[in-house]
Amino acid sequence: MSDAPKPPPKAPAPVAYKAPELRPETLPERAFVPELLRGLAVSTSHFLRNLLFSRDPSPDVLHRRGPNLVSTVQYPEEVAPYPPGYRGMHRLVPRPDGNPRCVACYMCATICPAQCIYIEAGEYPQDPIEKFPRRFEIDELRCIVCGLCVEACPKDAIRMDTGTHCKPTYDRPTIVYGIDRLLKGPAVSHRTDVWFKREGSDPPADGHGHPIPPLPGEGKS
Amino acid sequence: MPDQPAPPKPPPPQAPAPQPGAAPALVNLVIDGRPVQAKPGTNLIEAANLVGIDIPFYCYHRRLSIAANCRMCLVEVSNAPKLVPACQTPVSEGLKVTTNSPKVMDSHRSVEELLLYNHPVDCAICDQAGECKLQDYYMQYDHRPYRPAQAKLLRHKRKEIGPLVVLDQERCILCTRCVRFMREVAQAPQLGVFGRGNREYIDIFPGQPLDNKYAGNTIDICPVGALLSRDNRFKARAFFLSETPSICAGCARGCNTFLDHYDGVAYRYRPRENDAVNQAWMCDDGRLTYHRLVDDRQTRALAGRVGSGQPRPVDEVVAAAAEKLRPLAGQTGLAVLVSPQLSVEDLLAVALLAREGLSATTIYEGGFADGDQDDLLLRADKNPNRLGLRWVAAAFGLELRPFDAFLEAVDEGQVKALFAAGTEVPKEPSFVAGVLGTLELIVTQAQSFGPLVGVSDFCLPAAPHSECDGSFVNFQGRVQRFQRAYPPREEAQPHWRLAEGFLKSLGFAHRWPTARDLFRELSPRVPDLASFDWDELGPGGRPAPGLAARPAAADARPPGYRERVVTPPWQVKAARTDRPAAQDGGDGAPRAAEPPRDPPPGVGR
Repeated sequence: MSDAPKPPPKAPAPVAYKAPELRPETLPERAFVPELLRGLAVSTSHFLRNLLFSRDPSPDVLHRRGPNLVSTVQYPEEVAPYPPGYRGMHRLVPRPDGNPRCVACYMCATICPAQCIYIEAGEYPQDPIEKFPRRFEIDELRCIVCGLCVEACPKDAIRMDTGTHCKPTYDRPTIVYGIDRLLKGPAVSHRTDVWFKREGSDPPADGHGHPIPPLPGEGKS
Repeated sequence: MPDQPAPPKPPPPQAPAPQPGAAPALVNLVIDGRPVQAKPGTNLIEAANLVGIDIPFYCYHRRLSIAANCRMCLVEVSNAPKLVPACQTPVSEGLKVTTNSPKVMDSHRSVEELLLYNHPVDCAICDQAGECKLQDYYMQYDHRPYRPAQAKLLRHKRKEIGPLVVLDQERCILCTRCVRFMREVAQAPQLGVFGRGNREYIDIFPGQPLDNKYAGNTIDICPVGALLSRDNRFKARAFFLSETPSICAGCARGCNTFLDHYDGVAYRYRPRENDAVNQAWMCDDGRLTYHRLVDDRQTRALAGRVGSGQPRPVDEVVAAAAEKLRPLAGQTGLAVLVSPQLSVEDLLAVALLAREGLSATTIYEGGFADGDQDDLLLRADKNPNRLGLRWVAAAFGLELRPFDAFLEAVDEGQVKALFAAGTEVPKEPSFVAGVLGTLELIVTQAQSFGPLVGVSDFCLPAAPHSECDGSFVNFQGRVQRFQRAYPPREEAQPHWRLAEGFLKSLGFAHRWPTARDLFRELSPRVPDLASFDWDELGPGGRPAPGLAARPAAADARPPGYRERVVTPPWQVKAARTDRPAAQDGGDGAPRAAEPPRDPPPGVGR
């Protein structure tokens, strides 16, 4: 590198914007009236297009079709779609039997930087998983929607895949969501779930659980 | 019995006599290149501890016989071709021990993998998570994914084997600590190992629940989550709990404990080592006395009798009660009832109030009634500080009379008014409340609700020993300090603070900013206490300046919340200074250089 010939001195570093170059005005511009009329024509054509043609109601404004040029989204009749991966409202994921997958391990409450999750654990009398959340509350006013609870959950029991956001309310207590409002959405199973191996806390007769059935839609394995 | 662990094997042949230049009665060896001097008979785990080298282990316990069955402590030694268990190998002269060679590390990994072979990794629902040796050693020594392809063995996941203990056979790693404890310390062999090989499991015998009074210790010594408490099951995660050195107030033994608490609520007691008091154990009765610190607490100052007491500010109630007590001072109609549940500091202040403020010459002894006693720990006297009460009463010139004498005096109509510090009574509380209903004035300082609170004209909220600094005198005469774990609940205050308020209202200028100041001012009056320095007593001494008493961290854990992984300051101090045995209340600093001591009387091996 050192013996390579030195490059010629460069021009000054380019600035972040480019100043428009001044050019001499043309005759119509100097005459003013023709240019005024041209601008009026543009405005009038927009006005007539939006007046005479119907509006494409697609909330995805960048992909609206037709001559109408209005880009307003008429919320709440039209709702702009959230991008994939959007962290929406929490939900507690149900098991196939309708109970929450949550086992009240407190990982989400531990990691939550806003301390908006409150859990009280209970004990199932007869269930392969003994522990369940007797209370599971999220204060959506304190939640900063960071998604750390979803990442911390070892049981895939809390997700933010509802694609909605928190609804506004007129008072604070109603915005603390309990299990009754959080437990929703499609049930989720994994092959490693304990309820595929055993029915309760007692050991199976042979010491091994029953074979794990294939999940729905998993084919014939 | 099905599976007795094999009797301890004879130690390998001893090394030749020490060199003439070596210190007498000490063995020289080298561990990881560092020279170590240890007493003969010390095993390699303790010897390595002397120079700060940690050898991992599951089944070894200082106070139990050596089983050497977990194989986690295998180390390389110069006089054996194969790895040897460090827990079972005594030091020998000139021995070279390697604890971190690739061979040893590979052994750690293999043992860890074997122990996790059938372990259901259900840390999410396991109460031990956070204080589990399997977790710690997996992160430290193994840290590999699970390799076997076949399904794990399924066993009893939740077997309630006793009133306090629930067993999860799947999590068990067969270290047999619990079996050895029940056989050797509790001397009630209620646990056994059943089965063979892969299908071995710990269980009780048919029809014999694990109901010994010391069964709770198996929960503490279980290195994994196989034996867990039914009492605080699923109540709190272990990694949230902060521990504070405390004293069990269940009986006159005064077992040294850790009080585990979180956000101002106590969740459990765990025994703390003290060779002179409780070794490393405590009884189940004492273990459950933490409920008194939490349940049915009386936390407001009440004025008005028979349940009509309305909460009012503490200062106001103290002043009003003092005005009522003032004309009665010095009269025989005013009885003072003091509970031996109070700490020494409380008693000093209350005795001063009785002697100078109320001009009393006798006080009556309250406290819980006597109960069971045994040879190991349990004492019949169910109060932690009766000896302290006797010392203080004698020093202040107060005649201490039993509770029966108080009831007689009430019956005979000699008692017109009562001032009670502590509402614990040896009789049925509702009966006592009925008897006391005829008195003109009852002023109580109570830590929990009860019939006596209902009949009080003035009831002040007192803080139990989890909420203030202080000390107890156990039946041996050991003054043992306990530390404040969290601030008093709501408006509760220590007994001595309330007594200070009474004294102030009665015109005495006593001002004690802390319990330490109180002890320093008043303890010289008590000959038995005069030789004690509050700062030198027991764990911790003064709390570090600037330490937030109420945890302010995001999850309520104060800085250094995992104290048990570092050497606590009082153990460092105990190792450094050589204090008289009677003065070092509360520290359990094991002298690591010594081999395990002889078992105390009544404890077989």
